[in-house]
Amino acid sequence: MNGWAASRRAGAAGALRLLLPEEEGRLFLRLRATLTWETVRAMFMQARLRLGLVVLLSAMFWGSLFGMFLEAFSFLDALHADVTSLLFNAFFSSLMVMLVFSAGILLYGGMYCSTEARLLLTLPIRAETIYAHKFGEAMWFACWGFVLLGSPMLVAYGVVREAAWPYFLLLLPFMASFAVIPAALGGICCMVLVAWMTRLRLHAVSIAITACCIAALGLGWTLVSPLRIDAMSAAWFERTFARLAVTEQKLFPSWWLSSGLLEAARTERDGSLSGAGLVEALKFLALLVANAMMLHLVAGWLARVAYRRGFSQLAGEVPARRRRPLGWFDRALMNAGSASGRPLRLLLVKDLRLFRRDVSQWSQFVIFFGLMGLYFFNLRSFNYNNAYASMIGFLNVAVVGLILSTFTTRFVYPMISLEGRRFWIIGLLPVHRDQIVWSKFLFSLLGGVIPCCGLVLLSDSMLGISWPLILQHELCCLMLCLGLSGIAVGLGARMPDLRESSPSKIASGFGGTLSLVVSSLFIMSVVIVAAIPAHAGSVSLLLSARGGAAAPAGGFLAWAAGPWGTAAFLAAMVALGLTATFVPLLLGLRAFRRLEV
Amino acid sequence: MIDFDHVTRTYGPRTAVADLSLSIPRGELFALLGPNGAGKTTTIRMLVGLLHPSRGAIRVCGHDLVSNPRAAHLHIGYVPDEPCLYDKLTGREFLWFIADMFGMPRHLAGARIDREIEHFELGEFADDLAERYSLGMKQRLVFAASLLHDPDVLVLDEPMVGLDPRSVRIVKDLLAARTREGMTVFMSTHTLAMAEEMADRVGIMVRGQLRFLGTLAELREQMTLETTTLEQMYLELTAPRGTAS
Repeated sequence: MNGWAASRRAGAAGALRLLLPEEEGRLFLRLRATLTWETVRAMFMQARLRLGLVVLLSAMFWGSLFGMFLEAFSFLDALHADVTSLLFNAFFSSLMVMLVFSAGILLYGGMYCSTEARLLLTLPIRAETIYAHKFGEAMWFACWGFVLLGSPMLVAYGVVREAAWPYFLLLLPFMASFAVIPAALGGICCMVLVAWMTRLRLHAVSIAITACCIAALGLGWTLVSPLRIDAMSAAWFERTFARLAVTEQKLFPSWWLSSGLLEAARTERDGSLSGAGLVEALKFLALLVANAMMLHLVAGWLARVAYRRGFSQLAGEVPARRRRPLGWFDRALMNAGSASGRPLRLLLVKDLRLFRRDVSQWSQFVIFFGLMGLYFFNLRSFNYNNAYASMIGFLNVAVVGLILSTFTTRFVYPMISLEGRRFWIIGLLPVHRDQIVWSKFLFSLLGGVIPCCGLVLLSDSMLGISWPLILQHELCCLMLCLGLSGIAVGLGARMPDLRESSPSKIASGFGGTLSLVVSSLFIMSVVIVAAIPAHAGSVSLLLSARGGAAAPAGGFLAWAAGPWGTAAFLAAMVALGLTATFVPLLLGLRAFRRLEV
Repeated sequence: MIDFDHVTRTYGPRTAVADLSLSIPRGELFALLGPNGAGKTTTIRMLVGLLHPSRGAIRVCGHDLVSNPRAAHLHIGYVPDEPCLYDKLTGREFLWFIADMFGMPRHLAGARIDREIEHFELGEFADDLAERYSLGMKQRLVFAASLLHDPDVLVLDEPMVGLDPRSVRIVKDLLAARTREGMTVFMSTHTLAMAEEMADRVGIMVRGQLRFLGTLAELREQMTLETTTLEQMYLELTAPRGTAS
């Protein structure tokens, strides 16, 4: 008998067995630890620039938020100390709703659409263990934003209230136990929808998201719409707080969290630790932990009952027949213009179709630019003087540019690399390689210019900015769109990653990170250069009021604010924009012509 | 070992597998053939518990795949059409993970991991991260993982895709040896030559229905044609309606 037969005998003698739940849990913990370690190690070895940037930018973001909250809480502590509870409730309740959705969506992707789930479901492990494994993953991705946003706020509050050490010690358990509740709710909703309402899941999620958006918009509108005249006054505060009181429901985990944290920060009159406050805080923590554990158990039970069934149900879905509502547009674009430009237009239409059919691309695009449009639309609710409005206008241009840069880095930069993988098709077509690069550039430019210039126009209209300044902003925005497209496409062609098939991995490599850094520097340079003439006058007046040593600088600023200075700075901005467009593009074109696949 | 009991699986209004009844005894190598969209992959996914039958039941070693999937999985090894690995695990770490999932004692797991690494000639790259593997290397690793616990039933979905000729030979020899020892193999394939060479019985599926089930000799007998190769008989059986000679 050979080795296998002998080994089978050993197996039959009890070598194989079903694992206990805790053994399965330990195995997945070990798996997670190994995967995390390898990922971090690979980042240290291969993506130091990206890792350094992530750490640096996160630290800067955290520090800025901490400083801002420190100021805000000092202000509130002096004027409206009793409103902190209301603010905490509003913040945590909205966060709770977002966590339900984000965890639900992440769990849907991890449990039902990933290849890992397909592997794990064929192994002799419990469905609830797979759920717990995926839940941990979803918690991590859904909650890092919560920690990055919430921790500076809570630490700043503790510092302002001079809270004793238990407050700071309790922050983490409070946040963690709170986050589990909406995340588990998201998981429960996800499993119920998939297992029992497979066909309805898209409608159900869309309706829920729309309802939440309408509720948020309604609340936002009622907060700002009738209060344009007396914004930031005592009456404004009173009415705003009255409307936010809806978030102070005692059955909401956000209320337990807010109340627990406020109690933990309570001190005696002499500044010492308040024993009663600490006890109350611990009671709220216990309430949060108990509910988190209960919901986690319910979710685990549901996974046991519904996960495999849901997976099978979902796999049995028949995809709807694809409709082509924009087919006329594609045909019109393909047939417009001369015959010699047709290959370029065909490539453009192909990219447009891919973009339209990739929900992850256009949905992020719509969400980010939609939110920004919403914010700009509400700008008119506040009163500004001219200099302040102009400054906000430029800041808005910069924000639009920064968001566009994340899109050009995430979606446009990898396009050439992905095209490289399909080179056996593209390379054999009678298309010059330059046209491939130019088609990507045009795609990015056209996709960026329309929403960005529209948003800047909306922002300026709401701010009541004069037409010459609007034109200046629009020119600045155009330069940003040109430059960002040039950087992303040029660097993408200069440093293609032909082995990788995942666009997110291509974007997060060295070239993608470099593209993001260069884009950010470019945005800052262009906006600063464009803003100097508009603000030089005010700064000059400020300096002359202070007098003396600042006089030479004041002279330069006065020139900068004048017509010649304005023209010079605008020319410099255009030069910057064109340089950022054509230098990377030319480098990319040259490299792409020589590319061997 | 494997029992399909009047199994039907529908996708909306479309029936992917219709009333499939099939029993495969211990030690048999069964090849499921059929054109694209015939229902082979659906059948295999039901057999490994990824899909539930809309009607009927599937049992592996007496365990129902829907009501008792874990007990059934203990007896199944599965090689999917697309190998799924953790990119950030090495081949050896992946094998340990699978061995642990089957509750194998450490000493036995270590010995079997070494055995499979040797069988599939994985030694050179067993300690590299899987993200660096080619398709063929990944496929060999998945084979090794599926055989670690010496399953009673091995389910293979297009097993030879991506394998080089030497690896194909290794797999064929291994399958032949292990079926002789009592392992049951359920394989879906488009490689007719392999089915002809290795299968004890073949099933030919067309539009969700098992058009033929039996040995090659029985197929030849049933066809009552002058055709002799499996390819010719297969083409005859699976030809679209109206085009059959």
